[in-house]
Amino acid sequence: MEGVKLTISLIVAILLQITLRNVWEPLAFIDFPLIIVVYAALQRNSIRAILFGTIAGITTDALSGGLLGANGFTKTLIAYIISEIARRVYMDNLILRIPVLAGACLLNYLVYYWLHRLLGQAPSGDVLISGAYLLIGTTTVGTLIYAFLQNFGTDKVRRKKREMFTPRRLTRRRNPIRLNK
Amino acid sequence: MVERSQKDVWRLTPWLMIALLLVNFVLMAFDAREINSGQRVVRVWTQTTTDFVQSPVTTVSSAIANYFSSISNLRSAASENDILKQRVQELEVELQQKEELAAENTRLKGFLQLKEQSKYKVLTARIIGRDPSVWFDSSIVNRGSLDGVTVNMPVVTDGGLVGRVTAVSPLTSQVDLITRDKSGLGAVIGQIGESNALGVVNGTSKKDLLEMKYVPGNIDVQAGQSVFTTGQDGIFPPGLKVGEIVSVAQGSATTPHQILIRPAARLSSMQEVGILLYEPPARTEFEQTLPNAVKKK
Repeated sequence: MEGVKLTISLIVAILLQITLRNVWEPLAFIDFPLIIVVYAALQRNSIRAILFGTIAGITTDALSGGLLGANGFTKTLIAYIISEIARRVYMDNLILRIPVLAGACLLNYLVYYWLHRLLGQAPSGDVLISGAYLLIGTTTVGTLIYAFLQNFGTDKVRRKKREMFTPRRLTRRRNPIRLNK
Repeated sequence: MVERSQKDVWRLTPWLMIALLLVNFVLMAFDAREINSGQRVVRVWTQTTTDFVQSPVTTVSSAIANYFSSISNLRSAASENDILKQRVQELEVELQQKEELAAENTRLKGFLQLKEQSKYKVLTARIIGRDPSVWFDSSIVNRGSLDGVTVNMPVVTDGGLVGRVTAVSPLTSQVDLITRDKSGLGAVIGQIGESNALGVVNGTSKKDLLEMKYVPGNIDVQAGQSVFTTGQDGIFPPGLKVGEIVSVAQGSATTPHQILIRPAARLSSMQEVGILLYEPPARTEFEQTLPNAVKKK
């Protein structure tokens, strides 16, 4: 169920990325596929996360003027890094996910820019300003989307959390004063 | 079906990641090489595949956007109605004056034997997608090689020049806008033949702003003047309006002017464009031998 939900979310994210810039130019500063890829990576299913990263990246690249595979490369890398971090560190709290998403956005941006420079296809636009807008837009919208997604399927997350981080065994304290006896 | 343990999955993941990174990198390297060679086979195929999804999605999304904009327009309709009633009365008076001018205009046109005719065949195309990233100023239009579109064909609107076709698939084409910093075109300030303020117009990192380089500093240039293509770049035909000068940092006898131009076409809000089915004149044998000449495959 979780997989279906994430797949649908990814498809919707890609469609939004394609269409929203037509509606209002500043909406291009939100990286919807990245938000979903990071969310998938936080679910600790690393294989699914990196496959999501590649698919979302290549689809975005196919419609972009940039190099084909650049987004695929960055998103695959980010999905792997975050899934590895999520495997080791507890990150099921929404507040903890905000810096993770911001970091992912920044890394995605830097690697994407560097790859284009490396292959002689430097992107246009002001690097600092575009980066700042992307960071703000993606992190803000991403936080809202995470809050929404968390409310649909929290039981699954909780179950997985129980498997990953076994809670301390609770020992019943003996009550020295036994009533009714 | 073989059930993998969590440890197996963790062991497998780095290898899968490396394989996918390699695939992406090979794609990138191949695409970068194709951009330089002008033959973008991989891009054409991916674009053709995604078109089957993109076209219907864009149609639906534009319909929804239009519906909501029409609702918001209705809210201001009542106040606009009063203003318009007043305006109609004013226009009636103006119309009588215009009719006189139109009659005079027709008479003068006939006197000068001017004929309005377009020099090039224009193929109208609808923009079905904008670049999903913020980095590249490119758009996808719903005309491809089946409609006779080829790479480097100029794209225009009724306002002026928009860009050129950079990749063509059977059903769609990718258009690079003139604001992209890698774009360049030969241009002249004022009409060709009347002005010698020649230069090169490039995109800038700023949206909706172009830069004109190499215009000699001893030529008088003012803000508000129009800039047109010269046709000397071998891509765009001469006489297309590029834009209007918005600012000039005056040069000297030894340094060129620094000129900023606002594009004539409204690049951020256009819905339909025209592709000029224009073939530039063939280059001379001498030009073909130049080291930077684009070789035809």
